[in-house]
Amino acid sequence: MAGPLNVSVVSPSKVVFDGQASAVVAPAWDGQVGILPGHAPMLALVGSGVLSIDRPGGGSDTFHVAGGVLKVERDQVTLLTEYAGDEPPAELPAAAIVHVEDAEA
Amino acid sequence: MAGGRDVKRRIKSVENTRQITRTMELVATSKMKRATDRVHAARPYADALHEIVSGLYSPGLADRYPILRRPEETKRAAILLLTANRGLCGGFNTNLIKQARTLMADLRGRGIETELHIAGKKGIAYFRFRGEPMLMKRTDISDHPTVDDAESLIGPLRDRFERGEVDAVYLVSSKFKSAMSTPPQTRELLPIRAEGEASSADVYILSPSGDMILDRMLPAYIRNAVFTALVENAAAEQGARRTAMKSATDNAGDVLEHLTRTYNRARQAQITQEIAEIVGGSAALE
Repeated sequence: MAGPLNVSVVSPSKVVFDGQASAVVAPAWDGQVGILPGHAPMLALVGSGVLSIDRPGGGSDTFHVAGGVLKVERDQVTLLTEYAGDEPPAELPAAAIVHVEDAEA
Repeated sequence: MAGGRDVKRRIKSVENTRQITRTMELVATSKMKRATDRVHAARPYADALHEIVSGLYSPGLADRYPILRRPEETKRAAILLLTANRGLCGGFNTNLIKQARTLMADLRGRGIETELHIAGKKGIAYFRFRGEPMLMKRTDISDHPTVDDAESLIGPLRDRFERGEVDAVYLVSSKFKSAMSTPPQTRELLPIRAEGEASSADVYILSPSGDMILDRMLPAYIRNAVFTALVENAAAEQGARRTAMKSATDNAGDVLEHLTRTYNRARQAQITQEIAEIVGGSAALE
C-alpha cells in the first residue's frame, strides 16, 4: 500500500495548498484526471475547472484553477497554475485554453 | 550672543527633518516586510516552473518554436529597465540606470542597435533628460506588482522577438539579497539559454505532448522571470529606502548633537558675559 500523496498547489504569487492527500482530481486540458498514490510519473497541461484534494482523514479541499501544468512524480503532485481561488476566474487566462486540433498537430 | 537664536532655529529644523526621515524609515521597513514576504511566496512557483521547463527542453526544439530561436547574429537588442516611481531611496535608481547605460554602451560597442523599454518614473525622467528615445514608458506598476503587470511588460517584447524584430531581450533590475544589499543585475531573458542537456521527459506520461506543454509553459516561464524581477525590485526599493532613511536619521542625530553643543556653549558664553558686565559695572560704581 502506497503512502499518501504529497500535494502542492502553487500560483505565481503564493503556495495555495501544501499537504497530504489520499486522492487528487484535477482538471487537465482534456478532462478531469484522477491521481491516486502510486501513479506513474506524469506531466499534463491544466485547463480550467475544479481541483479537488481528498484529505487522508476524510473531507476534501476544493479550488478553482485555470491554466498551468500538473506534475506527478513518486507520489509528489505539483500543480502550477496561473490562477487558484475559491471562485472561478472572471476571465480565463490564455494558457487555460487548449484546442484539441493544436494538441493533435 | 546673537548666534544663540539662529542655532536654536536650526535645531528645530533638523529635529523636524529627523522626524520625517524616521517616519519614512518606519514606513519603508513595514513595506519591505510585506514585499519580502512576496519575494519568498513567489519562489516555489519559479523553482518548480524552472524544473519543468528545463526538464522538457532539448536543443532540437529551437527549429519549431520561434520563442526558442537562436539568432546567429544579434542586430537589435531590447533593454527592459525596471526602476522605482519614487526617489529618496539612496543609490537605488542611480545604480539601475548606470547598469543600463553600461549595458547599452557595451551592446553599441559591439555594433548592436539598442532600444529602451522602461518601467518607473525615475528611469524615464533620466533618459528623457538624456534625450534617449524610449519605446515603452510605464509608470503604473505599483508596490504590489501582479502577473498581469509582468505580462503587459514582456508580452509585446516576446512577440517582437518571435517575429525577429529584436534578437535579444535584456532585463535590468535589482536583486534582493537583503535589505542592505540590493545590487543591480542584468539578465538575458531571450534568447533562452540552454540549460538541461539531458531531457528527463522520457520517463513521464506527457499529456498532450512534451512540445505542447513546452509551448504553453515557455511564455509563462519568461513572464514569470519578469514577475519575479518586479517583486524583487519592489522589495529592493523599500530596502534601499529604509537604509537611506536610516542613515539620514542617524546623520540628523549627529548634526543635532553638534548643534546642541554649539547652542549650549553660546548660551553659557552669554551668561558669563552678562555676569562679567554686572560685576564690571558694580566695580566701576565703587
